[in-house]
Amino acid sequence: MTDSKQSDDRQRPARSSAEWVTFAISLLLLSGVVAMIAIQIPGEHLPPAPTVRQAGPVRATGGSFFVPVEVSNDGDDTAQNVQVLATYTSADGTETIADQVVDFLAGGETEELEFVFDEDPREGELDVSVNGYGVP
Amino acid sequence: MASESRGPWATELVDIVRAASGGLLFGIPLLYTMEVWWVGSYTDPRHMLVVLAITFCAVTLLNRTSGFRDTKDVRLRDALADSVEALVIALACVTLVLLLLREITGTTPIQEALGKIVYESTPFAIGIALAHHFLRRGRDAGDDESDASESQDSTGQGTINATLADVGATTIGAVFVAFNIAPTDEIPMLAAAMPPGWLLGVIGASLLVSYLIVFVAGFSNQEQRHSQKGVLQHPITETFACYLVALAAAAVMLWFFQRAAVGDPVDEVLSHVIVLGLPAAVGGAAGRLAV
Repeated sequence: MTDSKQSDDRQRPARSSAEWVTFAISLLLLSGVVAMIAIQIPGEHLPPAPTVRQAGPVRATGGSFFVPVEVSNDGDDTAQNVQVLATYTSADGTETIADQVVDFLAGGETEELEFVFDEDPREGELDVSVNGYGVP
Repeated sequence: MASESRGPWATELVDIVRAASGGLLFGIPLLYTMEVWWVGSYTDPRHMLVVLAITFCAVTLLNRTSGFRDTKDVRLRDALADSVEALVIALACVTLVLLLLREITGTTPIQEALGKIVYESTPFAIGIALAHHFLRRGRDAGDDESDASESQDSTGQGTINATLADVGATTIGAVFVAFNIAPTDEIPMLAAAMPPGWLLGVIGASLLVSYLIVFVAGFSNQEQRHSQKGVLQHPITETFACYLVALAAAAVMLWFFQRAAVGDPVDEVLSHVIVLGLPAAVGGAAGRLAV
């Protein structure tokens, strides 16, 4: 370990060719990252615009009915605590409401959700909607 | 191993591995923190540039006194150049870990991904800037004891002692790093997003990181580590054995915090153990450097 103790105290020699090459590549990559961030700065911000839609057919498993839903943010800014409701109205007018919250939904992001009902939503009317959200 | 005995490219490669290892040691707890992912999700790009600039300044200051190379960065010019490299190593490693943890996927919007990467890179880059300083005290302290241990190397007792020391150090290191992560919701959240095949990737990454920290990064006396005798003292077998110890420590920590119990589905518990096993393996590797 004498070597390493000496090396701890060793002053830095001139940069080697390998260090120069690594530095050049690093500088190029860092410039690329900064450029990627810079082009994300929009001239005009669209506020969050979460929308929701049923993403596929209802699945029936073990006496429960699963409804796949996609919630997307069509705006530029992030939406927080996006509350998504799925309301099932049966033929006799009884309403069953299921809700879920998406913590954060970035601009352009899509999240997949599943709602679960005890009754078959295909036998009545199913409505999915965004009930509200916050702006972080 | 002294850097003079290596060529410039090998030295540079070891320096980069040392940097990445130091970053992991310092940055892994925040890589498992959902609040940091969330901050990244809604951060304005202008704020990201400010965070990058602040990180760059902090890393430059640290590089003047510590850094990730085997030499001191006393010249501002070298410290600045190394800070550029440190930042890029941090950005690259954080991206890989977030991809491994599926916090960034092919469907993640670019701005959200950049926000997560930039924020997670800050502690990681600071860890890189402190990489050479990390565990140096432990390494130097170990020098005095190494003579005694070397004298026992040829005996079975010495091998057993070295193995027991590694197991103990792995356990302590794993607990030290992963104990703060074990009770959090991040573990089931991350595990739930991983298909079984993906968990194999986490296992592979954990083993690779553990090996790189102990046997490549140049934190400790690697010649001594490479020359240790005994089945469990070979670099490959030691890496595998200590990973199993880290997994066992992870399982115990999950049980301790009532995050896993006898009777829970085996595949669920296993996935949680493997996800917690990554920081535990990083901590375990750091712990072995201290013996």
